[in-house]
Amino acid sequence: MKQKEQQRSWRLLHNDTARSVDLLAYPSALVEGRIAGKYMLSKEKLPDTLVIQTFAKRGILAGSDAEVDKAAASDHGIEVSKIPRSGRGGPKAVGTLDYSDLIKEASKKFTPAEREPDDPAIILYTSGTTGNPKGVVLTHRNCMAQTELVELVMPMSHKDTIVLVLPLFHVYGLSNGLICGVRNGSAMSLIPQYSPVKLMDTITSTKATLLIAVPTMYMHLLQLARSRKTSIPKSLRLCVSGGAPLALTTLQEFMELFQTQIAEGYGLTETTSAVSLNKTGEHFLPGSIGPTSPGVDMKIVDDNLQEVSDGTEGEIAIRGDVVTPGYWNNPEATAEVMKDGWFLTGDLGYRNEQGLFFITDRKKDLIVRGGFNISPREIEEVLVTHPGVEEAAVVAVSDKRDREIVKAFVVLRDGSSLTSSDLLQFCREELAEYKIPKVIEFRETLPKSATGKVLRKELRTTTQQVDQRLILQKEEN
Amino acid sequence: MSETLSTLLDQITKAYKRKDALYFEGKTITYRELNEQANKSANALAGLGITKGDRVAMMLPNIPEFIYCFFGIQKLGAVAVPFNSMYKGREITYILNDCGARAIITLSNFANLINEIREDVPSLEHVVLTGQRTLIFVTPESSLNVQLVVEKQTFTKPEDAFREVGALLVELLASFGVHEAWYKHRGGVRVGGRKIATILVSEIENLITVNAMLFLAPLDTKELFKVVWVTPEVKDKVLEPSTSIEELTGKRPDNGEVVSRLVELVKEHFGVDVVSGQMKRDELFGYEKVLSLAGR
Repeated sequence: MKQKEQQRSWRLLHNDTARSVDLLAYPSALVEGRIAGKYMLSKEKLPDTLVIQTFAKRGILAGSDAEVDKAAASDHGIEVSKIPRSGRGGPKAVGTLDYSDLIKEASKKFTPAEREPDDPAIILYTSGTTGNPKGVVLTHRNCMAQTELVELVMPMSHKDTIVLVLPLFHVYGLSNGLICGVRNGSAMSLIPQYSPVKLMDTITSTKATLLIAVPTMYMHLLQLARSRKTSIPKSLRLCVSGGAPLALTTLQEFMELFQTQIAEGYGLTETTSAVSLNKTGEHFLPGSIGPTSPGVDMKIVDDNLQEVSDGTEGEIAIRGDVVTPGYWNNPEATAEVMKDGWFLTGDLGYRNEQGLFFITDRKKDLIVRGGFNISPREIEEVLVTHPGVEEAAVVAVSDKRDREIVKAFVVLRDGSSLTSSDLLQFCREELAEYKIPKVIEFRETLPKSATGKVLRKELRTTTQQVDQRLILQKEEN
Repeated sequence: MSETLSTLLDQITKAYKRKDALYFEGKTITYRELNEQANKSANALAGLGITKGDRVAMMLPNIPEFIYCFFGIQKLGAVAVPFNSMYKGREITYILNDCGARAIITLSNFANLINEIREDVPSLEHVVLTGQRTLIFVTPESSLNVQLVVEKQTFTKPEDAFREVGALLVELLASFGVHEAWYKHRGGVRVGGRKIATILVSEIENLITVNAMLFLAPLDTKELFKVVWVTPEVKDKVLEPSTSIEELTGKRPDNGEVVSRLVELVKEHFGVDVVSGQMKRDELFGYEKVLSLAGR
């Protein structure tokens, strides 16, 4: 491992009153001293060094791009120091490459590769009913078809400024925000980390004309606007809400205070985002997802894939250039949802006589939270890897604002004394936060069908009542 | 109109080159600049051997680099695989393996996370880091920092620094009664799934620097979130689940004891003598410089 033959001497620097900045200042100082020595800029030959530090004060060492509220920090006695932007030749993390180094010498010119419209351009992972997420392949044709669809239902131009607050790794922000923005030569206001104030300020400072967001964000903006009364930006000419239904009262009050229009969109990762839009105005019908957008065919089918009559509930099926060719490396999953050129969404709904579509339920066991799909099975698979868990079932229940939340039913092994906080902690180690159950209920058994399949529907219905009681108790306290 | 994303940005730039494309933290980037940055990104990725059809994963928030890289990937004819920056190791491993990504572009903050799973993702050749959004929170009760600034030759190869310092910390923990600690590839030391120490190794010229944090007692993060606004969903990303010596043994070790035991272990592991000393003139210069740059 190391040459023990010659006894070398290292220096110990022991600092028992360190500040957060010392995490950075010590190695920088030591490196600088050593390099000065190497180039004979100094007479002092500096030794290999061991630094041990404990801290005198609470503190934060923040990257140059991280946002920290300095006033709040000083109120709470927390020292903040920033890592300066690294210059040329700064230290490099072993085994990684630095983007700024890579592009430093790279040419500003590039001739784009030739691609066919049906070549894959993007793979977006989304949770389905199976445990692991599936990679939805979106082709160049899919992406361009989506921009054409938007062009027809919600024209954008180079005079627009669109706010990119939705994450660009999600189909909604990527397809309708970034790709449509570039396609129209619009300006784009980027928000790396959402907060209601940041969103409001960005709309104001960049005089944004278009906003695409999720219902929670509209609710936050509205609360902020109510408390502000003045200084509400009026530049937005159109807003689109998607990911979950937006309450009618929120929608109306928002349109009034911001003097704008809100359209509600419906779409999936598999359809490169929007396939229908319920625009305020003439055809607006609360609760509807609107008429089908041009270039997209949408129909309601029964279990035999036969189209049903208007007003009858069935599964929503979609066809058109925006529909994915399938899942990456997964022909079985693709075959399950692609039937005769139609994509089966797993959403249940109906069409009325005016040709407007409505969503009533979901066919698949899927939980949708803030526009993100969550697979109950994935969470169950994590839960049962805990040695104290016999079996688990995960379902969606509604919170008091009627949003879907994740609830887990757990049967413990004999002798196990697991608590729900133990299990939640265990989940946090394995899963992204939005997938972590909000409620865990311990049961002696799970309701099962004759074939041994867990009856989720039964768990969902019994849950509704239980939750109501829990929420009531909370409010009384 | 362009039929592919590969040519879209060039086409739009021709029509609107002087027009504003991006507003980001008070700065304005025009379409011409955006297109040039995307070209640079395409050339940089081509330089790494990325070519038509290759999958390039992206784990980034909404920062300009997301857009440069996304269009850089499209110009190359490669396939962009952007995914949720809240994902944890297990989820990331699955996605990278499923799509067979050859490269990932991510925030510097996530270097540790990706390094830890790297051995489980054989297709992944390049980890490209951008954006400095790291947040390190220290408290007198919880944090102990260990650094090494040593000649490169101390280790057979730089990657060994992770393993050797990891082994040293595992031994240190055992001597304080934490016996279940294990070193996780390039990332740090864990107990179960929770982190008890982080290790960061960097190299510059002929030197290796190791910067490790060890948690002696629970880290009270309530205060941190009064200062850093994050959506509830992202809170856990700022701080991975962690544990500490006190949480595992019921006793917070005495600082002095940890220091002396660490020194003994360093002597033993590296076969060196360790003598107390102070910073010298050139070092103090560098130290003051960092303090002023860091806004103190």
